[in-house]
Amino acid sequence: MLIKYTIQKVLTYMNKYDIRLIGIVLVIILLILFFTRKDNNYANVYYNDKLILKIDLSIDKEYSVNGYNGIVKLKVKDNKIKVMEETSKMHICSKVDWTNSGVIVCLPNKIVINFSNDELDTVSG
Amino acid sequence: MNKKIAKIAMLLSISVVLALIESFIPLFNMIPGIKLGLANIVVVFVIYDLSIKDALYVSILRVILIGILRTGLFSISFFFSLIGALLSVVTMYLVNKITKLSVVGVSICGAIAHSIGQIIVAIIFLSNVNIVYYLPILLISSVVTGLIVGMAAKRLLEYYDNKSIY
Repeated sequence: MLIKYTIQKVLTYMNKYDIRLIGIVLVIILLILFFTRKDNNYANVYYNDKLILKIDLSIDKEYSVNGYNGIVKLKVKDNKIKVMEETSKMHICSKVDWTNSGVIVCLPNKIVINFSNDELDTVSG
Repeated sequence: MNKKIAKIAMLLSISVVLALIESFIPLFNMIPGIKLGLANIVVVFVIYDLSIKDALYVSILRVILIGILRTGLFSISFFFSLIGALLSVVTMYLVNKITKLSVVGVSICGAIAHSIGQIIVAIIFLSNVNIVYYLPILLISSVVTGLIVGMAAKRLLEYYDNKSIY
């Protein structure tokens, strides 16, 4: 209700050319986002908030790291990573599908895996 | 002539005060490179009411004054503001002349030009082309801030048409 009222109020300030302009700008933004999107090429494995392993996702390989409850086995295939084996009650992180975005958290093992793109790192830096 | 100088001086002081007040409110300065730009209400007003020459005076002098008062003269952020302000004034003038956009659309175009100017300065200063990836965020914020500034400027112009302040 409030949102509808606000939009109506804002629209009274504009003519049709303004609305077209905003539409064109939004389309340009979406196009830029679409064409500059890059897949993450690195997976960062953290144990206890410390970076213990940086995995290049372009190489298919199996890794194993030491978690709190024992060894955690990771597998890289087709630029994606999956947790294959770990010791925990609910197996939340090994139920996560093959991925190269978002974050994988394995709380009982104190393992966190996030993803980064090395070329893009310079922007935030 | 004297009346015009007095008017420009008054508008300049209003824009400096708006910029200062804005810099004191943390909510508007959370994300680096993005701010509301309330001072641009005055610049939009000057473009419509006076001329592009006066608008350039007002915005360049405002950038210099804010540089002295807040950020430091000839620092990097000073050049960010200067190039952004110049580009935005020229763009708003041209858009107002050529297209049929209303005050709101002109203000949005000015905000976008300001963002693009900042990106260009950042590329020159940091010699890193990857800053272009920041452009979509700046464009989205430009549309929002340009909208707000344009609405405020439109109200100001309507009010000014109805009543003679000076």
